[in-house]
Amino acid sequence: MSHHLPVAGSKDEALYAIGSRFDTPDQLIAAVTRLRAEGYSSYECFTPYPIHGLPEVMRLPKSVLSFLVLGGGVSAILIALSMELIPSTLIYPLIVDGKPLNLSALPQYIPIVVALTLMISAITAVTGMILLGGMPRWNNPMFAWKLFSKEASRGFFLTVEARDKKFNTASVTELLHTLGATDLIAIHEEAEEAESTGEVSK
Amino acid sequence: MSALSNTTTPGVAAEACAPDLSAIARPPQVLNNRGPLWVTDAVCSIVEGKTPLWWYAAISVSGAFAAMGGACILYMIVTGVGVWGSNSPCFWAWDITNFIFWVSMAHAGSLISALLFLTRQKWSLSISRAAEAMTVFAIICAGVYPAIHIGRVWFVWFLFPVPNSYGMWPNFSSPLLWDVFAVTSYLTVSSLFWFAGMVPDLAVLRDRATTKMRKFAYGIVSLGWLGTARQWRHYEMMYVLLAGITSVLVVTVTTIVASDCATSVVPGWRATIFPFYFMVGAVYSGSAAILTLLIPLRLIYPQLKELITPSQLDKVCKLLLMMGSCVAYVYVFELFNAWYSANPFERGAFWERFTSANAWYAITCLSINLTVPQLFWFKAVRRCLPVVFVLAILCNVGMWFERFMIVTTTLMRDFLPSSWGNFYPTIVDILTATGTLGIFFTLFLLFIRFVPIMSMNELKAALPGTQPAHSTDDHSTGEGH
Repeated sequence: MSHHLPVAGSKDEALYAIGSRFDTPDQLIAAVTRLRAEGYSSYECFTPYPIHGLPEVMRLPKSVLSFLVLGGGVSAILIALSMELIPSTLIYPLIVDGKPLNLSALPQYIPIVVALTLMISAITAVTGMILLGGMPRWNNPMFAWKLFSKEASRGFFLTVEARDKKFNTASVTELLHTLGATDLIAIHEEAEEAESTGEVSK
Repeated sequence: MSALSNTTTPGVAAEACAPDLSAIARPPQVLNNRGPLWVTDAVCSIVEGKTPLWWYAAISVSGAFAAMGGACILYMIVTGVGVWGSNSPCFWAWDITNFIFWVSMAHAGSLISALLFLTRQKWSLSISRAAEAMTVFAIICAGVYPAIHIGRVWFVWFLFPVPNSYGMWPNFSSPLLWDVFAVTSYLTVSSLFWFAGMVPDLAVLRDRATTKMRKFAYGIVSLGWLGTARQWRHYEMMYVLLAGITSVLVVTVTTIVASDCATSVVPGWRATIFPFYFMVGAVYSGSAAILTLLIPLRLIYPQLKELITPSQLDKVCKLLLMMGSCVAYVYVFELFNAWYSANPFERGAFWERFTSANAWYAITCLSINLTVPQLFWFKAVRRCLPVVFVLAILCNVGMWFERFMIVTTTLMRDFLPSSWGNFYPTIVDILTATGTLGIFFTLFLLFIRFVPIMSMNELKAALPGTQPAHSTDDHSTGEGH
């Protein structure tokens, strides 16, 4: 059946996924619900903005980012406190006007602890978002699909990946058709040479 | 007032008659019922269109000022701080005045984007990106001063806890050192907040790019964003976290900057109201700055008139009015406190502030800041954008004089009349200050030209009809349709 679908990427490489497009977020959610019911698990939705309710339908877990940021923040507190207290009280006490440096002087160390905690938490949040989202990634089989590149800011796209255990080109194509998908396409991995020479495929 | 804060519960909504409902309905986010496709085109067209002539003219002027500022800084570094007018007793003058002026202006940008996001104030969506950009650029301008005002700029590493064989170690009990950490954090966090929020929109520009060069450049900065459900899940979590972090950081940074003055023993500085004073002044001047930037932008790009609506600008004016009134309260309270303290030095400092030969600084500051924001009580004033533009510029002039009054005129008069003195700016002072203005506008012009000036994904997600009909059944009673 695959030869009936248009092809993106290089035909000789392995099939990456079947891509499809939906017109409304409602259709996309209905499609995901059906895919899950049919037992598919390797699929992905591409939307121009976050869609309410989609992660729940996809059964995506809560983002672990908040825990990472908590970890980053707590370690920042420890790092900042040790950076200030250990040299200032033990290794190299800097006595100004005979003022105390021990724990009774803790308040004077707090502003820097707060500033560093917030900074390191923010760095963790952004790095975490990038890495958890599978970025930075300079190339992706999806980029070979011209329509996706052109319309990603408008349409709602769904791919069913070839690595899915239940994957079968014919049945996936038919299922997507019945769900009202348009612009079905077989997306293949890109050829190695094209990547190494940095050439943009078609 | 009702249009600003009221929400309806579904039960009441069903009972109420139609005219009442329309009176309390939220003003539309985007005018003329525009859809998501129009929003994308409108915002991207600013970046994708041919570079307009005015842009070249504007960036040449601002670039020239920035270059002049750079030359002055270079001259100052190779010659010494003596090229500035700062001298005994005013060792802090235009440098710290401008530092506080710029860093304060930055605060409103963070607050508008972060705090209003956390409190679900959707009206701020279309101005938050520009506000964040203003924040980042204002911190860069502020950051010009602290490093160079130490005089021997090559010793700036003394400020950081770097292990070394000189026996140099920073004094962590000094607010000036807190400042180093606070401003560094603030620049880092607000740049991250700005950039991370922009990644999905940069990906839109990448996808729409027509030349190889653009495709490559936007491809690099958008990090391979595809808009998958997983990416959005992490992205939304990150955005909430960063908004929370930024909101806390803004208050921390202002408090620390205010502590530079408040923890000293100088009469006129030693006041516990200073953190609050700096905070309200910051949001006041920042709101004015946002208005100064957005009003001309709407004129130049007519499509923005539907995205930055009069109702949104009206709300920024109200914010300005509220903060301006807080500033007025602090002025009065400061004077009352000086009198009530019965401390002759405290009373003397304020008496001199308004009666010495330098009184015109304080009088200019008070006469602008006590009157101009109060004009925003009138709806006719808030809705007349040319007037708002002029008044907003006046507010920032007033705020510059306030910073100068706090920092420099206070130093002119301290405990001993024998050590009193005056401050006169040199040409290098003036050109460096105008140079920072040049840097600010150059960066802002680059921002307009090369990145989406509005958060397209947030706007689109908030438009009516863009979300699934059945989503969040509990509280969106047909709002989407």
